[in-house]
Amino acid sequence: MILRNAQILFNKPMSTELYHLGLLCPDIAVSIQPGQFVMVRIRDSFDPLLRRPFAIHRLYPNDPPGSLEILYKVVGKGTRLLTTMQPGNSVNLLGPLGRGFRFPNDNGFVLLVAGGIGIAPLPYLAETLAAHKHKGPFVLWFGGKTSGDLVCVQHFKDLGFAVEIVTEDGSIGRKGLVTEHLEPWLIQQDELPKVIYSCGPYPMQRSIAEMAARLRISSQLSMEALMGCGVGACLSCSLRCRPPQGAADPHYANVCQNGPVFDGEEIIWE
Amino acid sequence: MTINSPVILAVELGPLRLKNPVMVASGTFGYGQEYAALVPLENLGGVVVKGISLEPRSGNPPPRIWETCGGMLNSIGLQNVGLQTFLREKLPHLRPLQVPVIVNLFGNTVEEYGELAAGLDGHEGIDALEINISCPNVKAGGMAFGSDPKMVFQVVSAVRSRTNLPVITKLTPNVTDITLPAKAAEDAGTDILSLINTVAGMAVDPQTRRPRLGNVVGGLSGPAIKPIALRMVWQVIQASNLPVIGLGGIVSVEDALEFLIIGAKAIQVGTANFVNPQVTLDIISGLEDYLRQQGLRDINQIIGTLEVAR
Ligand SMILES: Cc1cc2nc3c(=O)[nH]c(=O)nc-3n(C[C@H](O)[C@H](O)[C@H](O)COP(=O)(O)OP(=O)(O)OC[C@H]3O[C@@H](n4cnc5c(N)ncnc54)[C@H](O)[C@@H]3O)c2cc1C
Ligand SMILES: Cc1cc2nc3c(=O)[nH]c(=O)nc-3n(C[C@H](O)[C@H](O)[C@H](O)COP(=O)(O)O)c2cc1C
Ligand code: FES
Repeated sequence: MILRNAQILFNKPMSTELYHLGLLCPDIAVSIQPGQFVMVRIRDSFDPLLRRPFAIHRLYPNDPPGSLEILYKVVGKGTRLLTTMQPGNSVNLLGPLGRGFRFPNDNGFVLLVAGGIGIAPLPYLAETLAAHKHKGPFVLWFGGKTSGDLVCVQHFKDLGFAVEIVTEDGSIGRKGLVTEHLEPWLIQQDELPKVIYSCGPYPMQRSIAEMAARLRISSQLSMEALMGCGVGACLSCSLRCRPPQGAADPHYANVCQNGPVFDGEEIIWE
Repeated sequence: MTINSPVILAVELGPLRLKNPVMVASGTFGYGQEYAALVPLENLGGVVVKGISLEPRSGNPPPRIWETCGGMLNSIGLQNVGLQTFLREKLPHLRPLQVPVIVNLFGNTVEEYGELAAGLDGHEGIDALEINISCPNVKAGGMAFGSDPKMVFQVVSAVRSRTNLPVITKLTPNVTDITLPAKAAEDAGTDILSLINTVAGMAVDPQTRRPRLGNVVGGLSGPAIKPIALRMVWQVIQASNLPVIGLGGIVSVEDALEFLIIGAKAIQVGTANFVNPQVTLDIISGLEDYLRQQGLRDINQIIGTLEVAR
């Protein structure tokens, strides 16, 4: 765990709501794993008070060396303030944090699922999986409210992924929710993946976990929670999970420490 | 005085000696290990661990925090690993360190406080107990112990009679007259007072018309509560002869100095650790710089030097 100022390399709007933030932070870039996150202090003041958690979208080992990229959606005070930050300014990072995606010993079908801003951690995961000599197929299911939510699609295609798109308004791809279309599609495939990697809103994650249980495959779900510290010190980021032997029931795991990536079977859905 | 001339930060709070007056507050620093990669614990004046109960506690349903203007609400619900796991798994990491370890404790009943104090007594590596009285008395309809001076007296007496360790009583600000529970704790034999715990608060999401916290109400901490904390620490210092530890909203050396100047012998930093995990180190070096700037050698030359025009 490292605390560092990181210089802003770029802060580019992709749409009215989505921004790519490039940061120079070699110490964190060399060690952070897909699915891990950083806590960002946007400016050197106590307003907004708390750090904001963000996943690593991509790493750029050579451009310049030690740079990383965050994809963020403007939703409130902190992210709005972030949009005003200019290249040359810096933000303070605490990371790498949490437990990222795990890679079971398997080299077949790779299936990623994203809902909306849930796409954020998946390019780095996809790059890592693509480099693991999987024979494929490589598939991303990506759902959004509307076509504007569907960023980075070309990047996945360049990595060799087939991208299946679903929008709630039907403006592009299939109409509806990812979780409605994914299961019928999966059942028709020649083989099933061993694991589904997924990041998205809580109801979507829940549906993915339930589907994975029906199909007897495992799921790795990147979960969100309101966070105070990001390091396991404050116990604010609780997610109800199955209690380990001897633990108090109900058992709350810390998303920042035991996650953010959980096995779907660990979670008790509300 | 030159830039590097040595200055003395050591303070004495009755039976408790600290190498400097800067501690971390209970519940904001886990059991010390969580931030150890960033904060050499031995540089701190003391580490107050997360509140411990006899049995493990699950805590409240999420969401458990909500950021407010200049502060945060929390309703963690006193989740903790329980006495036995603390002694077995957490204390051994702290024991070898040259830093005072203060165990924050709470119970559902007066008897539980006493049992906990007994259970913690005699374990090497514990330097003091801090009694959290801001929690509900299950036998008194859930009324907070700290809000009734009689119950404060009972709880502190129960702890006092079962331990030889220095006893700190941590007061809740959710009372009309803070000097009453302070007096009750003093009468019951506490060695030190610390204040303030969080200020009762609430927030609502207008879109869903639901409370922001799973527990509906919670406790406010952070910069927003500092003026309340200062005023209460000042009142307690006027009313009591005991050493006082000041906390509530401290984020900088200036904040720490305010508490010391009004007479707090030491301070604790809570919420600010989340924002800047190294804030305590900054405050410690800031205190040294301040003394040099003022041409002073010893932090005790600052403590209790508030100038009030009469
Ligand atoms: C592990 C993790 C990784 C994340 N990665 C990304 C990412 O890569 N890109 C991205 O756009 N967003 C990500 N998020 C969500 C992001 O942290 C929030 O959108 C952001 O904190 C909102 O801040 P705000 O001040 O703009 O919103 P406000 O609503 O004003 O924030 C108020 C408070 O709520 C918290 N908060 C609000 N929404 C969320 C949320 N969805 N999750 C957690 N805390 C929230 C804030 O941190 C703040 O403490 C991630 C969340 C987690 C837990
Ligand atoms: C997340 C959180 C958990 C806390 N847990 C405890 C606790 O277990 N016992 C206790 O006495 N105080 C607890 N507190 C209160 C703090 O120790 C402190 O009294 C309060 O937050 C005010 O200080 P601050 O403004 O510097 O945070 C907690 C505070 C926070 C924010
Ligand atoms: S955010 Fe503090 S424990 Fe997870």
